[in-house]
Amino acid sequence: MSCNKFKILLSAYIDGEVTKEEEKKLLGHIKVCPACSREFENLRKIKNLFLLMEQKKPIEFFETRLFARMKERESKSGLQVFGQLVKKLTPAILILFLLILGILNIGRFFHKEPNGSVSTLLTDQKIEDDFDKTLLEIYYGELNLEREV
Amino acid sequence: MAEDFELLDKIKKGDPQAFEEIVKKYKMNVFNTIYSVMGNIQDADDIMQDVFIKVYDTIGKFKGQSSFSTWLYRITVNKCIDEIRKRKNKFLSYESELNEEETFKLKNVISDEAIDVIDELRKKEIEEIVRKTIDLLPEKFRIVLTLREIDNLSYKEISDVMNVSVNRVKILLFRARQKLKEKLKNVL
Repeated sequence: MSCNKFKILLSAYIDGEVTKEEEKKLLGHIKVCPACSREFENLRKIKNLFLLMEQKKPIEFFETRLFARMKERESKSGLQVFGQLVKKLTPAILILFLLILGILNIGRFFHKEPNGSVSTLLTDQKIEDDFDKTLLEIYYGELNLEREV
Repeated sequence: MAEDFELLDKIKKGDPQAFEEIVKKYKMNVFNTIYSVMGNIQDADDIMQDVFIKVYDTIGKFKGQSSFSTWLYRITVNKCIDEIRKRKNKFLSYESELNEEETFKLKNVISDEAIDVIDELRKKEIEEIVRKTIDLLPEKFRIVLTLREIDNLSYKEISDVMNVSVNRVKILLFRARQKLKEKLKNVL
């Protein structure tokens, strides 16, 4: 086995991740190879540096912040769903509205107003005057306008 | 592990207290993993929120083929990678080597056999220097070293988290340590 292979094995050895057989070969090699022995010493020093790394505590009230964010997200997503629904349905609603409007007006398109109807009254002054006269006669009997004058 | 599966079942059924228990149980590990990879407390806090939200959203997809902690570490590592990639262009170039003073301080500690009994103030100072050195490494090396040295995961667990073979983990750790050794060449 070459020194390079032993070096890879050394890295695994300091992690306790070699087999008994590999360990035996490795320890035998270190004894006779100064370069690999030095490598072993350096890897051990590097590994020891991590012992200095203390566990950091998370920022206080993490759960409170997390749950607040989740709640905010839920209400936002509710609004978003409504918004998306409106966006998706808008063309359909518009088409439906126009359709209903069309159905309601289609009768008017084919229908012709008969003469003397109320709508004609609003446009023909003579008929309007006659209509007023008829109403007055109903309420007050036949009028003799000349006598009153 | 059985306790985790019980809690996960409850979460799937919509029990918010079970989710809170999972958060409480794993937040220290998740936080320290992210902090070790990102090197910043505020980032670690933000990303940890993303991690637990992802857990909550995708809990239905977790089928229990691995342990929950492996699944959680995978989400954590992936979130860190996402964040690093998102910011890649925004990162300011950090000093590429340790300065003279840092080298001197670290050299004194590293040659000291009783590394675990140095005083608190010095320990904090050295910790900062070590962290800076780790920050100088490429992301894949930072991640693999974190999973091994901070989270104490076995090679098999690291291979599950990173979705690579155990042999690849072996090589990655070897290369990460070689890089670290390069950065610490004036210290060793």
